[in-house]
Amino acid sequence: MSRTLKIILAINLLVLTVLTFVYPHLMVGPGKLIPGHQKLEANCFACHASFTGVSSEKCVSCHKPADIGKLTTTGAKLAKPLTSTPFHQELASLDCASCHSDHSGVRKYHQKGYFNHALLKKDTAAQCQACHKVPTDALHKQISGNCSQCHTTARWTPASFDHDKYFLLDKDHNAACVTCHVRNDYSTYTCYGCHEHTPANIRRKHVEEGIRDFTNCVECHRSADDEGGGERKGGGGRRGGED
Amino acid sequence: MKSSLWREHVLPFSLLLSLLGVATVAGDYLLHRLDLVWVGRYMGIPGTLLIIASLWYSLRKRKWVLSGNAKTLLKAHEYMAWLGSLMVLIHAGVHFNSILPWLATAAMGVNVGSGLVGKYLLKNAREHVQGERARFQLRGLSKPDVEQAVFWDAVALDAMAQWRKVHIPIFIAFAVLALGHIFSIFLFWGWV
Repeated sequence: MSRTLKIILAINLLVLTVLTFVYPHLMVGPGKLIPGHQKLEANCFACHASFTGVSSEKCVSCHKPADIGKLTTTGAKLAKPLTSTPFHQELASLDCASCHSDHSGVRKYHQKGYFNHALLKKDTAAQCQACHKVPTDALHKQISGNCSQCHTTARWTPASFDHDKYFLLDKDHNAACVTCHVRNDYSTYTCYGCHEHTPANIRRKHVEEGIRDFTNCVECHRSADDEGGGERKGGGGRRGGED
Repeated sequence: MKSSLWREHVLPFSLLLSLLGVATVAGDYLLHRLDLVWVGRYMGIPGTLLIIASLWYSLRKRKWVLSGNAKTLLKAHEYMAWLGSLMVLIHAGVHFNSILPWLATAAMGVNVGSGLVGKYLLKNAREHVQGERARFQLRGLSKPDVEQAVFWDAVALDAMAQWRKVHIPIFIAFAVLALGHIFSIFLFWGWV
């Protein structure tokens, strides 16, 4: 490599180094900052700490956790809070970057609308209704609390409720919910929603077997193949092993 | 039929370089399609490590290290640098966030190009032009006529030789820019 080329190369790299220190947001910043933080654009260390990333302590020096969701950083009342219930006060520890990313180039890696509920205080995490509205459908209206029985904090739908524990939805029973749960009322069900089962033929089959109480089908039949070996309250029906 | 330097050497070289571009776009598309964009974010690390590992050949060539078969190391240099570059290109994606890493990416692209010229084109092209000269001389053409006959091939060869010369300076630029990018990541990103 010639001496001239070496000098040209060194000058170019030196210029780029200077530019990096003068315009860090353009040279190394991962995209534009959110509008509220644009004044901090040329001052990376307003939010970042050397070699440890975004410092939550620096965030809370302006955004006081007690005020988040209620007041602005200047102390004015928030006209339109982003969430219906302020919840930052209920966080067990400060880790702002786990949810917030201010640079446009980084934001795309964050899952929209996702909140890690493990960040909440243990007591608060168990009180879903403190932040979430109870759904108003027929099923959920009857339930208070214990959401984790059917849902996880990772996502509301699909519910983690295991229908197979109550009745196996095999290929013949892969039907719309309303077929069995009329008017989306999940507190009750009917097996007469399809053409296969009619009150008359079910009655005939059970009476033949001497079973008188057959109103609660899943009490004995937990799947289409189940011949009725489950627990049974009434009736004198056949039990497994009695054949 | 007179064989052409462009058809026999430049075109295959262009295709090889294009393959890098196509593989980059395909990789980026797949990551987006499979909702694995985050993988691309970390692909710069193995890519950089592969490029660094490929430099063993450069050290061996200059006798800074003495272990390893030079021919095997050259092959490893070609494959590892190409694959490492592909990973870095996918890592860069099509997202223009800041100038420094993109200058590093551009320098790397030029570096790959000049490297490919050196390996896949220059040697073959030299042999091709010498062969053509010998063939015309055997047919009894005078020296000026021979030079005229191989004029455009000789021009292409000269251009390739010049292009080859940028490999080391561009590599230094690439290394400095990439180090700047890596340092800025360490400085501003929380790894723990």
